[in-house]
Amino acid sequence: MATVTAPVDQRSTVGPPRRRRSRLTSPGALIAYVFILPYVAFFLLFRILPTLYGIVLSFGDYGLSGTFELLGLDNYQRLFADPLFWNALKVTGLYAAIAIPVSVTVSLAMAQLCNRVLRGMSIYRSIFFLPVVTSPVLSGLIFIWIFSADGPINSLLGTVGLSPGSWLQSSGLVLPALALVSAWMNFGYNMLILLAGMLAIPQEYYEAAQLDGAGPWRRFRSVTLPLLKPALFFVLVLETVKSFQAFDTIYVMTGGGPVRASYTLTFMVYDQGFGYFDFGYASAVGVVLLLITLVFSLIQRRLVGRSA
Amino acid sequence: MAAMLTDTTDRVDQAPAPAPEHARRLRRRSSPRAMHLLLALAAVITIFPFYAMVVISVQPGKAITIPDALFPSEISFAAYEQALDSQNIPQWALNSAIYSIVSVVLVLLFASMAGYAFAKKRFFGRELIFWVFIAMLMIPYHLTIIPQYIIVRELGGLNTMWGMIVPTIANAQAMFLMRQFIQDVPDEIIDAARIDGAGEFRVYWSIVLPQTKPILATLGTFVFLWHWNDFLWPLVSQQSPRNYVLTVGLKTLQEQEVPLATIMAAAVVTFIPALLVFIVLQRYFVRGVMMSGIK
Repeated sequence: MATVTAPVDQRSTVGPPRRRRSRLTSPGALIAYVFILPYVAFFLLFRILPTLYGIVLSFGDYGLSGTFELLGLDNYQRLFADPLFWNALKVTGLYAAIAIPVSVTVSLAMAQLCNRVLRGMSIYRSIFFLPVVTSPVLSGLIFIWIFSADGPINSLLGTVGLSPGSWLQSSGLVLPALALVSAWMNFGYNMLILLAGMLAIPQEYYEAAQLDGAGPWRRFRSVTLPLLKPALFFVLVLETVKSFQAFDTIYVMTGGGPVRASYTLTFMVYDQGFGYFDFGYASAVGVVLLLITLVFSLIQRRLVGRSA
Repeated sequence: MAAMLTDTTDRVDQAPAPAPEHARRLRRRSSPRAMHLLLALAAVITIFPFYAMVVISVQPGKAITIPDALFPSEISFAAYEQALDSQNIPQWALNSAIYSIVSVVLVLLFASMAGYAFAKKRFFGRELIFWVFIAMLMIPYHLTIIPQYIIVRELGGLNTMWGMIVPTIANAQAMFLMRQFIQDVPDEIIDAARIDGAGEFRVYWSIVLPQTKPILATLGTFVFLWHWNDFLWPLVSQQSPRNYVLTVGLKTLQEQEVPLATIMAAAVVTFIPALLVFIVLQRYFVRGVMMSGIK
């Protein structure tokens, strides 16, 4: 259970000696194929086929009547000459650069806060988990009001003399606002993963550090953080994927606006695909999204490999 | 390992008679009052959006001003009546329920069948098929949504309930978790059942499946909430308002400039089932999250 990468179970080889039969035709194997058949069929039709089809679509033009014409690299040429695409790329990067640190920091602080014995802690943890089970559409709808010109955040800021106006109509504040919503939605989940990692750190390390005169901040930095690295890395990967694929809250809260200031790559896929029904062009954006995801996961894997 | 960690958290929750380890932990805490204050502040911030949703929903037809609106002097449920009578909300709630519940049943059935085969059977191509499934987790959903739309349209499934459900049931994570869990079911009880003359399907149904109840509950909770809150696929696969699920319907209410109180009433109605599922199955849900973090 502990290792995801453990070799597939070998126990079946140890049991009582069996007559060797061709693995393909032994009754056990046939039954196994029957058991995986429904799952494999759905997987082929709705995961693998769409992935390949999506890549093929990006090299052509799909007419609404169902005709497909191969165009080679036309969609990509158009894409790289399209300011909309470069803007979407910039917005996606900017959003990730804001959302990932905010979300990871909040999650880490909350995990540290919850990693102690206090009366009522289980109630606090349940409360912190509520946003995780809330639909992004619903969160988006209420946060529209929270970030509005005379919403609670601006009222609060007004007491210290600030009046930024409606966050969602400001091209400078729209991404921070979306990042805060995403932090609110996700921190409970991340916090739980980090908490599991913190609880696995032996208490003795903290005592030794304390005997050496390390204060709470020093203990956090020199004991908790290094030993939390695997869990922290997992949260970082999760947040990276989530920030690249953010869509629901953007669709509900901003529709890509104002003036395309929150028009991300995922939003561009939706907009080109289901707004303009330009499936080929939208798929080219999807392929770029795939490449970015792959490159980032490779880089993150490398970084962890080196520091571990 | 996962179970051990969950146990630890559970024990931390019920603090009154601390074990030695916890006594030490207790000594470490700085000032309980300051910590309570911080936690309470974080809890208030976390809950505020829900609170705002409810207070707006019970003050229809009033200007929402701060701070007065946050402490309503009189409340009215007219927005709820309006949401439930004049809108399609009961129909949408039914659609959401069908979408979620049927998906849970199908995902659990197919994922546990495949998980059983991958965990306990030897067959040609097992490793390859398994790792292809896992590798597919890397593919961004937005790349596949358009081809998925085309495939479902070709199959005649657009604007139908089955067309909405079927593409979502090949869930790689669910199968992966099932396989992990079934690997720990002892071979002896499976072999014993076989010696007693149980057929293959019977072994799966009455021996393996009952052993996996906790993971079925965990997965079921996840899949239910994932479908209940799902938005993009129901949005693009259904055109007629009768077929909307609650999340899509809520969004259309916003577009039609329905009064805010009515939207918020509909949002409360949407949230309640997710909240109930979470409260009842919280234990399983928390364990699932913790398992996902342990590699």
